[in-house]
Amino acid sequence: MVLETETVFVVDLLAIFAIYVIVNLSLNMEFGFAGVPNFGKVLAVGAGAFVAASIPGRIFASMAGIEGDYIVDNLLIVHQVDLWLVDNVGIGFAIFFLTLGIAAAVGGGIGLLTSYPAIRLRGDYLAITLLAFGESIRIIGNNYTPLVGGTLGVQVPDPLSFLPDEMRFPAATIGLVAIAAAVYVFSEKMMRSPLGRMLRAVRDNEMAAEALGKDSTRIRIKVIIVSAALAAIGGALYSFYVGGTIAFAYDRASWTFWPFLMILIGGLANNKGVLIGTLIFVTLRKLIIFFKDSFEGFVPFDVVWLDFLLLGIILLVILLYRPQGLCVEKPTPTLARPKSSEHGVKRVFNLLFR
Amino acid sequence: MVNFVFDPIFSDAIIFASLLALLSIGLTLTYITTRVPNFAHASFATIGVYVALVVTHVWGLLPYVAIPISFVISGIVAVLLYTLVLKPLIRKGASAAIQMIATLAFDLIMIAILNITADYIVKTYHVTSREFSLRSYDIEFMGLPAIVIIAPITIAILAIALHIGLRKTKFGIAMRASTENSDLAGTVGINVKLIYGVSWLLGGGFAGIAGALMSMWFQGDPNLGQQIIPSIFAASIVGGFLSIQGAIVGGVLVGLTEVLGTRFLSGEFGSWLIAYRPLIPLIFIVVTLFFAPKGLAGINWSRLWRNGSRD
Repeated sequence: MVLETETVFVVDLLAIFAIYVIVNLSLNMEFGFAGVPNFGKVLAVGAGAFVAASIPGRIFASMAGIEGDYIVDNLLIVHQVDLWLVDNVGIGFAIFFLTLGIAAAVGGGIGLLTSYPAIRLRGDYLAITLLAFGESIRIIGNNYTPLVGGTLGVQVPDPLSFLPDEMRFPAATIGLVAIAAAVYVFSEKMMRSPLGRMLRAVRDNEMAAEALGKDSTRIRIKVIIVSAALAAIGGALYSFYVGGTIAFAYDRASWTFWPFLMILIGGLANNKGVLIGTLIFVTLRKLIIFFKDSFEGFVPFDVVWLDFLLLGIILLVILLYRPQGLCVEKPTPTLARPKSSEHGVKRVFNLLFR
Repeated sequence: MVNFVFDPIFSDAIIFASLLALLSIGLTLTYITTRVPNFAHASFATIGVYVALVVTHVWGLLPYVAIPISFVISGIVAVLLYTLVLKPLIRKGASAAIQMIATLAFDLIMIAILNITADYIVKTYHVTSREFSLRSYDIEFMGLPAIVIIAPITIAILAIALHIGLRKTKFGIAMRASTENSDLAGTVGINVKLIYGVSWLLGGGFAGIAGALMSMWFQGDPNLGQQIIPSIFAASIVGGFLSIQGAIVGGVLVGLTEVLGTRFLSGEFGSWLIAYRPLIPLIFIVVTLFFAPKGLAGINWSRLWRNGSRD
């Protein structure tokens, strides 16, 4: 069975959509709800991807007893690991989830470390510090070869290698969508809890919140850690999905700028807006890449820059003429007290759509 | 004639430090108007780099001709960013974070246009427009490349002119009044918007000059801005973001440390360290934010001096 072009298009679109939903939900938590201008989102995403690139492959290789230098013989080792994983599905999944856990821990730690120097200062200092750190992750990845193989990148083992080739991507996509849905539910629950309301209070009037006894620095650090952990999970998943990590893929445009664009299209502090914004952006981007070849030859430059130009202008237009985005922020619906009569499925439905 | 052997690392250090100081002054000039860091600032310099490329390769002139041209072009682009994007946003009451995102978006547009220009130059004039160097077009002066002397002199002239302009002329005094208290300045009849526009023109123009000078020593590329932006912000944070003098000191400090410090450390520990040079600005940012969050300009030096002598 060979997949049709349209199916591949939709499957890939859904997978990228799911990954960006995770990253954007984490950014929305930070920027939309708490007002923390994290211009170094790429840092946490990249940290997750680097964890996925450097840790699971080495664990698998030592478990399977494969010899050799993990970076130098990377292609060979990962190929052998993938063959070994065909017979060890359970271990594969266990290590996969363990990696996501490590990625979340590393991401959260990096989020704390990079924001700590500027967390007490005005927002622009925090923004500058995070942006500067975000620019640095690529340099470390490029130069420190044992991490992600430097400029050549590394392959990431595939826990789904037991599946036949044509089933691999659809299965991975289903998994990604499921994880994204879980993150969505988690984020909604968190934002409807007292914590979520406190975040908005700190964002809208820090002084008032502090007068009521809320420690705004602590709450900001908390949200940065949680959000960086989620973004790192997103980065690790992206690494697993594309089957490799290369440092220069983690640049400011892809993982800081596009997420900001997406949450601003959808509307800040609104998780439904995140879904809509991400869907619009990912579809638009996919179509631009899809039809790029037909523009080639008409213009005397690489068409990829038209894409940058267009998206930059779209963002400026949104900021100037529709700063609230497509979905306007609404007052928080609080979590309903669980009633014994209410069915479990209905509660999940209410959480998602009400 | 210069008799001693002049190590090129010192040229590197002198030029980089001067340019960083100039870029940092420009950033300060724009920051004092809106109180929002302009993330597109480094790309104003990249414009200057491409002006210099066109001047030397297409028109066949000395690269120094590019200095006034890039001042005008980068200055106008900076004014466009202020009048078309930031001013309407401020009028609509957008938060600082939204204004910062707007400058990021503008930066992206500029990077796209610069890349398009680079591709166009290759296709039309068949000259290298990525990772190029104009070093061979520079003239010699006393056995040294002229840029080593011209870069610090240019910065000195511009800084002194700016200082005199801000302290002695009526326009400069109006400018300081508008940046310190815009409402009050408006009440006494100063056209604050015009003043801010001029401030952006100067800020962008200075960055353009820095770019034009930079092309004569360092490699030019459309993505140059992304490489130097951490250094520029480090210099500004060290300088305290609000004072011209602080920006100069910060730029020189960060620039010299980046070049000479990397050289020294790689001599001690091995050349693998050179690749980690971009971490130096980060260290500067972190240390400054921890110990003197208002930068060098925010430290009360006279009190520090008095306390020191009393001990």
